[in-house]
Amino acid sequence: MRKTNSHSNVFWHQAAGVGLATPAIAVVALLFMYPFVLSFLSSLRSQEQVWTLANYVEAFSLYGGDLLFTLWVCAVSLVLLIGCTAMIGGFLRLGAYPVLEFIFKIPLFVPFVVVGHAMRVFLAPHGTLNSAIAITGWFNPDMLPSFAFSTLGLVAALVWKNLGLALLLVLGGFRSVNEGMLEAARGMGAGKLRLIWHFLVPMNKSSIGVMAVLTFTSMLGCFSIPAMLGNAGGHQMLMMDLYHQSVYQHNYGLANAIGVITYVASMGAAIYYLKGLSKK
Amino acid sequence: MSKSISAAAASSSHNLIGRKPPFARMTRRLLLYAVSIFFIFGPLSSLILWSLAEKWFWPHPFPSAWGFKYWHQVFEGKMLSSLGLSFAIAITVTLLCLVLTVPLSYLIARNRLPFKHVILLLFLLPQAFPQLPVFTNAMVFLYRFDLVGTLTGLTLIHLVGAIVFSVWTLVSVFQSVAESMEEASYMLGGGKVYTFFHVVLPMAAPGIIASSLLVFLYSLDEFTGSLLIGAPFHITMPVFMYNAANGYEMQVASVTSVLLMVPGIILLFFLQRFMRSEYLAAFGRV
Repeated sequence: MRKTNSHSNVFWHQAAGVGLATPAIAVVALLFMYPFVLSFLSSLRSQEQVWTLANYVEAFSLYGGDLLFTLWVCAVSLVLLIGCTAMIGGFLRLGAYPVLEFIFKIPLFVPFVVVGHAMRVFLAPHGTLNSAIAITGWFNPDMLPSFAFSTLGLVAALVWKNLGLALLLVLGGFRSVNEGMLEAARGMGAGKLRLIWHFLVPMNKSSIGVMAVLTFTSMLGCFSIPAMLGNAGGHQMLMMDLYHQSVYQHNYGLANAIGVITYVASMGAAIYYLKGLSKK
Repeated sequence: MSKSISAAAASSSHNLIGRKPPFARMTRRLLLYAVSIFFIFGPLSSLILWSLAEKWFWPHPFPSAWGFKYWHQVFEGKMLSSLGLSFAIAITVTLLCLVLTVPLSYLIARNRLPFKHVILLLFLLPQAFPQLPVFTNAMVFLYRFDLVGTLTGLTLIHLVGAIVFSVWTLVSVFQSVAESMEEASYMLGGGKVYTFFHVVLPMAAPGIIASSLLVFLYSLDEFTGSLLIGAPFHITMPVFMYNAANGYEMQVASVTSVLLMVPGIILLFFLQRFMRSEYLAAFGRV
């Protein structure tokens, strides 16, 4: 009985599998993949619906400086983030600091908008950090620098927000390093710093790489933090320009050209993922 | 006699050289804690200060009048409807996400779907590219169906990111459930559906809880999509906060920020039990 039915059984199992998979895939395909492709097409069309590269020319001439600024901010944040994560992760791996581990996971659960606002309040010219420094009485409170609306404010907010995720991604790798090897290195007289930078980091290149790729994209695509910390004069993050062009100017072609440029800039993630796949 | 004492002294001093004196270690540890606490709680504490400040003149280090005036004001205003909306959407998205992604992730984890890597890549893309440019186009797409400014549209746009989070964590959760248990159940005559509900699900439960908490938080904090799709008609908490902060209503924005932060930190306490870093560490590497 069973044997005769096995053919149709297989069919039904496959149908059930496809049926279970379709809705989720449909949501992502329709609301992410399709708009994603649409932005390429739309970036190549002028407002009169003619195929053209003019949008890219305009994007580079108007926002070339902003592009460099965005990449610069993201790169600086990424380097700082990797440094901080390796140090903190290393300390958490080598010693038992459950309280600190809990504290450093907090940024993961604080929304982007809140981070933007918090940093603004914290670093503003008359913000909490400056008042805290002013309590000491060593500085003239009106002479203290303001970081909030400068590049430094952006970098601080981006690093702070991504620290939680970065740590979570890297700690897993650090924890899987063989204890015996670290013991041996310690026996040879290696200090904590050396253990971190000469053992833990090189042995976890792949998890640090994934972390770097994911956080770089998240910084590049972050909209709420630049929206809150904005830049008083000078360059802006690209996402702000994009939002401005699409929502206020309704110039979708130009907005999408900026979008495609950011896709290319964050292409690293996809390439990295494909490379990892081809190795297997 | 004196020899043995000096030998003991020598060995103890050797120990002391090997480890730093306890005082230095204590101060270093304290310093470490102080710096970390300042780094993480510094920005957050200023939110709490501002939410309680009724009057604050520069350069006073602390508010000159404290009080809950703005908390009352916020709770009497429109914020409450935003709070309700945010929670309603977050719960809906979490439930939908569970229904849509639990079976799918199970099938992916057990290699029962064709084109597994293509599917996983599809689910990686929303995490690998900036959301804003895509969502502006998704908005154009949703306009065609009159879904912009509706709750359905808002839920759908939240669902995109939520599904991605959910699939990636759940696949590694299901991979951590030993396949031999399932085989044992098949051997004893359990069917596929029976085995899934009575063997796999109970073992994966902690991971599923962790992943749904993450999805819930993601939806609660979602900003880009909510601003584009929901904005003038349905204002979620992050959008409300953004509007308040951009209008330089410092206290209102701070009160809302504190409210937005609380669920995350409460859930972090719960997650400590369920959350294992390997669930997230699998992101992009399955």
